[in-house]
Amino acid sequence: MSYIDWFVLLGTVVFITVYGIWKTRGTQNIEGYLKGNNSEKWWTICLSIMATQASAITFLSTPGQAYEDGMRFLQFYFGLPIAMVIICVTFIPIYYKLKVYTAYEFLESRFDLKTRSLAAFLFLVQRGLAAGITIYAPAIILSTILGWNINLTNICVGALVIAYTVSGGTKAVSATQKQQMAVMMGGMIIAGIVVVHMLPAQVSFGDAVQVAGEMGKLNLVNFDFSWTDRYNVWSGVTAGLFLFMSYFGTDQSQVARYLSGKSISEIRTGLLFNGLLKIPMQFIILFIGVMVFVFYQFVQPPLYFNKVETDKLANTEQAAQFRELEVKHQQNFQAKSEQVQVMVNALQAGNDTNVETARQSLNSIQEEGKSIRKEVKDLLKKANPNTEARDTDYVFISFVMQYMPVGLIGLLMAVIICAAMSSTSSELNALASTSLIDIYRRSVKKEASEKHYLNMSRLLTFAWGVLAIFFATLASRMENLIQAVNILGSIFYGTILGIFVVAFYFKYVKSNAVFWAAVLAELIVIATYVQTDIGFLWLNPIGCLLVIFFGFMFQVLFGRKLEPVEIGIEKPLKSGK
Amino acid sequence: MQQNEENDNPPLFKSWKGMYWLVLGALIFQIILYYAITRYFE
Repeated sequence: MSYIDWFVLLGTVVFITVYGIWKTRGTQNIEGYLKGNNSEKWWTICLSIMATQASAITFLSTPGQAYEDGMRFLQFYFGLPIAMVIICVTFIPIYYKLKVYTAYEFLESRFDLKTRSLAAFLFLVQRGLAAGITIYAPAIILSTILGWNINLTNICVGALVIAYTVSGGTKAVSATQKQQMAVMMGGMIIAGIVVVHMLPAQVSFGDAVQVAGEMGKLNLVNFDFSWTDRYNVWSGVTAGLFLFMSYFGTDQSQVARYLSGKSISEIRTGLLFNGLLKIPMQFIILFIGVMVFVFYQFVQPPLYFNKVETDKLANTEQAAQFRELEVKHQQNFQAKSEQVQVMVNALQAGNDTNVETARQSLNSIQEEGKSIRKEVKDLLKKANPNTEARDTDYVFISFVMQYMPVGLIGLLMAVIICAAMSSTSSELNALASTSLIDIYRRSVKKEASEKHYLNMSRLLTFAWGVLAIFFATLASRMENLIQAVNILGSIFYGTILGIFVVAFYFKYVKSNAVFWAAVLAELIVIATYVQTDIGFLWLNPIGCLLVIFFGFMFQVLFGRKLEPVEIGIEKPLKSGK
Repeated sequence: MQQNEENDNPPLFKSWKGMYWLVLGALIFQIILYYAITRYFE
């Protein structure tokens, strides 16, 4: 990277950190530190929710996914707007009425302490690990591409986040997320415009879209159902709905974002605008990936985007085979490039017959290209069985480093670091608030001064930050941890959501029934994951529905009396407030 | 500052139902639009 890029990157990241500390200095009470004194407007809530969800992997991996697989990943988000509406109707009025600090506080009000503690514990385990991965995932890619020391990258990103999150709490998280979101979306949109301008002069934007469509990259919607296909309309609006209800309705890293809202109206509006904007935002990021794909129809792409892995092959006995594949790849690209030019000419001339002929030729050339890439992946696996032969995460970053102008490289690096920081800060803030409110203040030290709890919140934020950096360092020794944490999330999310759904909708079901239903459901979900090939997204609805089913059954079979409870007033809150 | 319980008016519409239908309508519109794009290039 040039000095200008370093200046842009460090300037952006340091400015946001200093701004976060300065803007939220002087937080004096626990209400301000954990709930931002309930002063946030809807647009802050909306941006904060979006920034929390958008991790660095969103910006690194999503364009690469579009490059490889087209835009069908968009369907994953179709359940999100429905989840926003359900959360606004059901979850928000109750959280608001009870004036809770954390989502799990409500569970004690509705059920009992053990159910609250179970949900809080599951969240702390899962999110504590995920915080480490949020830091580690971009660090491994940036260190691979740029040669940075991975542990130093982990520590630098983690330390910056700890600095402003410890200092200003939830207010600092929200204040910095507005800036981070502006950098993220601004940087990506500029990158998209630059990609289109980098296409050959004779290829217009319309031609580029046509080429992408003819080559199967605009595969946005698929109504065919399959249990094993992760991305279709049905999995998006059903399994995705359960996942997003759990994530936005019961995961404290998101719940804390909107509990800081000024009023119930601001909270609902923030969530609903997230429902309106999320799909278009993902569309833009995927579309940038598609434009990178079109760019690489005219400029030869690398055979494999993770150059560090292919460089390693040069010193193995597979080196000769790799060189042969490189020659094949070059020939394949030349053939493809010629046919793409034929297609562009045909499109401009409006000659449908030639377009169809070129499309058919391109399909077979593309298949040949895919088979060459598969051979490379097999070769990498053969040379090193522990390697993850998947380079989609490296497509966009390697394009940025090779072709983007000076200055913009620094900005796009800032996009990735900002995304990592925004997600991590929400996670640390949520981990600290859950540790303090649901564990420490509830079960360890019930009576203490405001100052004590404030200092404890800061200490817990710091401790979770250090732990996240430690997990990130540990992750570098475990190849498949990213996938493991994603699966871990789906394994627990369904059960946690099930507890909340029973709490909201099944008023006859009491605490013991739901607790043991959750334990049993969790065991079945784990067994389902271990014993079957079902896509892990489906574990979310399975876990949720099992808790509802067993909860109702246990209540009918073993419950003393089926009397409905009034949510929020069954018992007083015992959180020491 | 305490949360303002009085202020529960949605923007754009008189009731929250209008906002909910806007969000769901936008989702349906997008699915139809994206489906049309998909079919156009199939």
